[in-house]
Amino acid sequence: MRPTPDDDDPNVLLRAKGVGKSFVGNMVLSNVDLAVRVGEVHAIVGENGAGKSTLIKILGGVHQPDAGEVSVGGVPRRLRSPRDALVAGIVVIHQELSLAPDLSAEENIFLGRFPCTVLGTVDRRAMRTRAAALFDQLAVAIDPDRPVGTLSIAQQQMVEIAKAISVEPRVLVLDEPTAVLDEQRVATLFGTVQRLRSQGLGIVFISHHLEEVLRIADRVTVLRDGRVAGSARVAEIDQDWLVGCMIGRDFPAHSPHLCRFGRSALQVDGLTVPGEFTDVSLTVREGEIVGLAGLVGAGRSEVARAVVGLSRPSAGSITLFGKPVTIRSPNAAARLGIAYVTEDRKAQGLLPNRPVRENATISNLRRFAKAGILSLSAEAKHVRDLVKGLDVRLAGPGVEIRTLSGGNQQKVLIGRALTVGPRILILDEPTRGVDIGAKQEIYRLIERLVSEGMAVLLISSEMEEILRLPDRVVVLRRGRVAATLARAEATERTIMKAAALAA
Amino acid sequence: MPPDALTASRSRRHIATLTRGWQRVGVLAALVLLVIMASLLSPRFFTVPNLLNVLRQVSIVGVLATGMTFVILTRGIDLSVGSLLGVAVVLFAGSMDSRGTAVALPLGLGAAALAGLVNGIGIAYAGLPAFIMTLGMLSFARGLAFIYTGGTPIPILNEDFYVLGNGYLLGVPIPALVLLVALIVSGFLLGLTPFGRSVYAIGSNEEAARLSGVPVRLYKTIVYAISGLMSGLAGLLYTSQLSIGTPIAGQGYELDAIAAVVVGGTSLFGGKGSVAGTFLGTLIIGVLANILNLTGVDPFVQQLFKGALIVVAVFIMSRRT
Repeated sequence: MRPTPDDDDPNVLLRAKGVGKSFVGNMVLSNVDLAVRVGEVHAIVGENGAGKSTLIKILGGVHQPDAGEVSVGGVPRRLRSPRDALVAGIVVIHQELSLAPDLSAEENIFLGRFPCTVLGTVDRRAMRTRAAALFDQLAVAIDPDRPVGTLSIAQQQMVEIAKAISVEPRVLVLDEPTAVLDEQRVATLFGTVQRLRSQGLGIVFISHHLEEVLRIADRVTVLRDGRVAGSARVAEIDQDWLVGCMIGRDFPAHSPHLCRFGRSALQVDGLTVPGEFTDVSLTVREGEIVGLAGLVGAGRSEVARAVVGLSRPSAGSITLFGKPVTIRSPNAAARLGIAYVTEDRKAQGLLPNRPVRENATISNLRRFAKAGILSLSAEAKHVRDLVKGLDVRLAGPGVEIRTLSGGNQQKVLIGRALTVGPRILILDEPTRGVDIGAKQEIYRLIERLVSEGMAVLLISSEMEEILRLPDRVVVLRRGRVAATLARAEATERTIMKAAALAA
Repeated sequence: MPPDALTASRSRRHIATLTRGWQRVGVLAALVLLVIMASLLSPRFFTVPNLLNVLRQVSIVGVLATGMTFVILTRGIDLSVGSLLGVAVVLFAGSMDSRGTAVALPLGLGAAALAGLVNGIGIAYAGLPAFIMTLGMLSFARGLAFIYTGGTPIPILNEDFYVLGNGYLLGVPIPALVLLVALIVSGFLLGLTPFGRSVYAIGSNEEAARLSGVPVRLYKTIVYAISGLMSGLAGLLYTSQLSIGTPIAGQGYELDAIAAVVVGGTSLFGGKGSVAGTFLGTLIIGVLANILNLTGVDPFVQQLFKGALIVVAVFIMSRRT
C-alpha cells in the first residue's frame, strides 16, 4: 500500500525524504517520506505520540531533522527557523492560535510587515483593502476592524489562515484545525480548505478524527511509532484500513483480576459541564479499575476535574457509596475520600522547592495536627512508611522534590493522594514522563491498591496502560461517552474506533 | 574546546563555586563577617550600649519585615506596610490621651489589621495583583492618616507609654523584646501549624496547593491581615519611641522591610525562606547602617551601600540552584 514516491513528479510541491529525528537518544521519527502535490489535501494521522507534531515542527523549521531532507518545488531546503520555512513557502498554522487579541483582524494579518505610506506611517487604507481581499478569497465575512479577541474561535482561525495566505505560501500546514470547532464550523473550514486547494496550494492536514480525513483529504499518510505505517489515496482506502495502519497490532489482553468487585464507590450520572463534556455516566466499584480513554481534548481530565469540584456541572449527579453528593472543592472531595493525582506534575502537582516530606503531607495536614500544632514526628513516620511502601528512591525526605526523577516524583504525588486516606483514587496520566522501570512499579502499586479495595479511575493516553490495567474502559469522544467496553471487548482496535470515529 | 571558551567556562565554574560556598555559609556567616569587620573598623561598635542600640533601631523595620515574610513566602508583596504603620501611629496618638490605652491599642492595631484584611480580600478573592492592591492601599492609608491629623503631628502626654519604645527590661530594649516575641510567634506559626506549612506550599506552587485541598484564598487573606497587624505593632513602637503621632510616619519603610526579607534569604518567588532569616537580614542592614554611622560616612553615601547590599544579596540568591 506504500506507493514509491515518484522523484520526478513535477506536481510534487513538498517532499520529505528519509526524515529522522531523535531527542536525547529517543527516536521520534525515522525514515519518514512525505510527498504533497499541487492542489492536494494531504492528511497525516497517527496515535498520540506517533510523531505527527515533530514532523510538523520539522516542516515549520522549529526542529531540524537529524537525517533526510525536505525540498519544496524540487529544491532542497534547510529549514533552520520558522523564517526559513516561510521563505521556502511553508506556513504552519498551529493548534494554539497565535494572534494578538487586542489588535484588529487586519492588524494581526499584517503584524510586523504593515504596508507603509511614503511618510513611513501605516497605510491603513491599503491594509483594509488587502485584508478585505483575503477574506474574500477565503469566502468569509469578518470585519477587518474588529479586535481579534472579540471574534469567535472559528473566526480567529480564519484570521490566522488569512494571515498565512497573505504571504502567498505554496504549502499550508494545518495542525488539528478542527479540534476546537463544532460540526458546523468544521464544514465552513472544509469549504475554505477546498477553495485553497482549488487555488493550487498544497495542504497538509493533521487530524485525530478519521472521518474528517476521509471527508476532506485526497491522500493520507499514517505515522506509527515515528515511522510511516502506510500512505495511500483516500479514494482507495476505508476506515478499517486506517485504524489497522495506526495500531499495527492488537496488544494481547491481560488476564482479568481475580478479585471480586465491591459495591459502587463512585457513580457519575449524566454529568455535563458546558463547553467541556456532555452527559457522561460511569461507575467505579470498590476493587475495580475503570479506564477513561479518548483522544487528547476528548474531555477526560475535565470529567476528573468536575468530580473533584474544580468545575460546576450544569446537569447530572455524583453519587458516592450510594449517597448523592455535591462537591465544590478538592478539599471537599478529599474529605469525602476522593484523591486526585493530576496530569501535569509540574504545573499542578509538585511543590518544587519544598522537601519531599512536605510534598507528601500537604494534602492532609490535619491528620498530623493536634490542637492545631503539627506533630513533626508523626509526620516523619508517615512519610518514612510512604517512601518505603511506594519504593521511592531518595537521599532523604528532606530533599527538594524537584531533584527527584520523574518516576520518584510521581510516586511521592501518589503518596500525597494516599495521605488523604482515600477510597476513590483518580489517576490522570500516572506514568507520563516516567521511565519504564518506575512505570511497572506504579502499575504494581495500582494493582495492589485495588486488591485492597480501592476504586480507581485511570485516565490514560497510553494504549498499553489502558489495556493492561482497567477492568472496564469508558471511551470519550468529543466530550461524550462513545463506548463502554468490558475488558474482554477492549482492544486497541475497538478503543481507537470509538475514540476516533463518528458513531 | 578553544582556549577562550575553556577560560570562560572555568571562570564561570569559579563564580558558581564562590556563590555556592557563600550560600552554604549562609546569611548567618555573612552577619558574623560583617560584625567582625565592623569591630575592626570602629572600637565603639562592639560595645554593649551600641549593640543594644542597634537592636532598638532595627526593631520597627524588623517587625514589619516579619509580617512581610509571610506575604513574600506566598509569592506576594505588601507595599502598604509603611502607610498602615502611619495610620496606626496617628490613631494611637489621637486616642491615647483622650480615651486611654485600653481603647488606643485595639484601635490602632485593629485598624491596621483590618486594612491588611482588605488587602487580602482584594488579592485572594477579587484576584487583584498584590502589587496593585497594596500600592493602592499605600496611597489610600497615607491619605487617611493625613485627613485624621489635618496634617499636624499629635503629641502624646502619657509618660508611661514612652517606656514601651525607650525602656529596658532585663537590660534589653523593650522594642527588641517585642520584635523577639513577634519572631517567635511567627516562627511557630510557619513551622509548626498547618497554616504555616500551607503558606510555603502556596508560594511554591499555588495551583498544586489548591488541588491538594489547601484553602488558598482564605490563607492568602490571613497572610495580608497578619502583615497589617504587624504594621500596627510596628506603629505602636514607633509612636512610643517618639511620643508623637505624625502622619508621615513610616514613609518608605515598606522598601526597608522588603529589603530585610530578601537579604535574609527569603525568595521573592515564594516558598523558600524563614523569619529567622528575616531577623538576620534585618540585623545585617542595621549593622551596616550602624557602622557607616560610627565611621562617619556621609548619609548620602550610606544609601549607596544599602542599595548595593540588596542587589548583591538577591544576585547570590538568584544563583541558588
